[in-house]
Amino acid sequence: MERTFAKSMAWLHTWAGVVLGSLLFAIFWMGALSVFDREIDRWMMPKTRLASRPDVSLDQLARAVHSAVPAQASYWRVDLPTDRVPVLRFSYRDSGGKVIARQLDPATYEFIPDQGTAAGTGFIFPFHYSLHLKWKDLGKWFVGLAAMTMLVLLVSGVVTHKKIFAQFFTFRPRKGLQRCSLDLHSLAGVIGLPFHFAVTLSGLIIFITFYFPQAHWGAYGSGKEAKAAYTTEAQGRFTRPKANTPGTLASLGAMASQAEREWAGGKPYFVRVWHPGDANSYVELRRSYARDITMNLDQIYFDAASGEVLHRFEAAAVMKVQRFVSGLHFIQFDHWTLRWLYFLAGLSGCLMIATGFLVWLEARRVQHAKKGLAGVRVVEGLTVGSVTGIIIATLAFFAGNRLLPPGTGFAGQERSALEIWTFYLVWVACFIHAWWRPAAAWREQAWTICVIALACVLLNSVTTGDHLIRTVPSRMWAVAGMDAMLLVLTLLAARVAIRLGRKVHRAVQSGPVSIVTEVRS
Amino acid sequence: MPALLLVAAGLASYAGFACLALAMARHWTEASGQVMDVAPHRRSLPPLGFSTLGVSYALCVYRDGPSFGTLLWVLLCYATAIAVALTLTWQPRFLLPAVWRVRL
Repeated sequence: MERTFAKSMAWLHTWAGVVLGSLLFAIFWMGALSVFDREIDRWMMPKTRLASRPDVSLDQLARAVHSAVPAQASYWRVDLPTDRVPVLRFSYRDSGGKVIARQLDPATYEFIPDQGTAAGTGFIFPFHYSLHLKWKDLGKWFVGLAAMTMLVLLVSGVVTHKKIFAQFFTFRPRKGLQRCSLDLHSLAGVIGLPFHFAVTLSGLIIFITFYFPQAHWGAYGSGKEAKAAYTTEAQGRFTRPKANTPGTLASLGAMASQAEREWAGGKPYFVRVWHPGDANSYVELRRSYARDITMNLDQIYFDAASGEVLHRFEAAAVMKVQRFVSGLHFIQFDHWTLRWLYFLAGLSGCLMIATGFLVWLEARRVQHAKKGLAGVRVVEGLTVGSVTGIIIATLAFFAGNRLLPPGTGFAGQERSALEIWTFYLVWVACFIHAWWRPAAAWREQAWTICVIALACVLLNSVTTGDHLIRTVPSRMWAVAGMDAMLLVLTLLAARVAIRLGRKVHRAVQSGPVSIVTEVRS
Repeated sequence: MPALLLVAAGLASYAGFACLALAMARHWTEASGQVMDVAPHRRSLPPLGFSTLGVSYALCVYRDGPSFGTLLWVLLCYATAIAVALTLTWQPRFLLPAVWRVRL
């Protein structure tokens, strides 16, 4: 530790950043992509690229899915189509507790064949908060640690950045890599401080019952029963046991209309039938939160046979605050301007982390080379692998999705798992490449990004027939937006790679001169 | 109309940050080529900047209501402040006329 407060904060900022920067970059990158997870889904599941969203008749729907629900299922549920998800998402929980999900076309009520992909909502979004490390919830704990570190980094960064007001609005790209990286790092960090702080803190608050269970243990006690009591009171839940005699299902459409009246025009976003076919069966309707930041917990339960209301729930004030803060983070509302701004702000967070690494590297490069230390080489490989590497891996995930034929399996792995394997194997390869060829790693990985991003657009066009000339006039914005962003990435990566190439060229030309001057001095 | 309001709010917050940037001696010199001391309006720049940001906030709230409006304004501020910084880097001379236009 250092002696003065400012120095010890600088020390903290430097080392916390280097140690957890890679993890933070991965979380920010996946978070920025998760802003458009449903759009990524459309791109990766071509059969769900449905244009129109007809009004769904719940009763017709119930008849359509009836034969797909096994006798012992504890519930079946259908999420209704939205502007971003034009399909019906049907799922049920079988007697073993396993949830099986399928999709239906809302125009015909027919099942859409399995698209064989985890896509945005199944891979990218869970990666953002759990890193797909399920063992002992380790992934969530890592993300929690990274989020706490992020808060520490933001505060210590402000303390460290001495000229915070004098250098506001300052970016000097021509003053050398270190100066330029530091400018970008503080620009994105200082101006984006409110966003980064809010998004990190709200991320922790979403998982309040996971990270800070003491809060509800204090009031309800610990253990299974206490947890159930807390859930019932905070999040709302209604249950009743099975009667084990056959029962009927009244009109779901009538229940939905009644719910809409109770919610003053609020629409249901999913319907769930508990104990289907039983005399004690009941129907749960949840209210949509597409028009509000707060993700309301409003729910109404009906008796399945008679359609009478059994139970109503609306969250209490404290829970509403938690749901408002969560809503700020989840952006489940319909607001395209905000969605794009969140996406850009998330990417600027990535930029802040990447430039932070560059500052660390440039400040030590010469010194480490002189002393023969490996630090710069190790951290540079780490940086390349976690910045360009994860971008390449994500693109490989997209490309793999378009290349693997439907129904492919390999070594007992399903198609969706193969896509995920592609992601991880490519990512590991990027780290190896970065350590193996440190001098060329940035440039070669930038070219790789350029090539795969373009290949993704071409593959999409070849395998599905959808390309920008077709998707823009027919207003298929999800696919068009994804293709457009891939093309932007192609151009950006090419520009970066060309500039890095020129720099290498110049360094080679001026190389002997600098060696001579070093020898003389 | 919502699109126009959004553009207006974005322009207002850009102009607001431009004023705040120009109120700083270094950026004033970059943008005008003059030393700050001789600038006649330098004292009026910060209040002008903050009030223009206020106008931007009002437009956002008028467009989207208090909760969405506030969120929109915070993120617009982020985007436009970065835009002002990049303008200062690549087209510093552009900022001055941008501010005068708002004053007129």
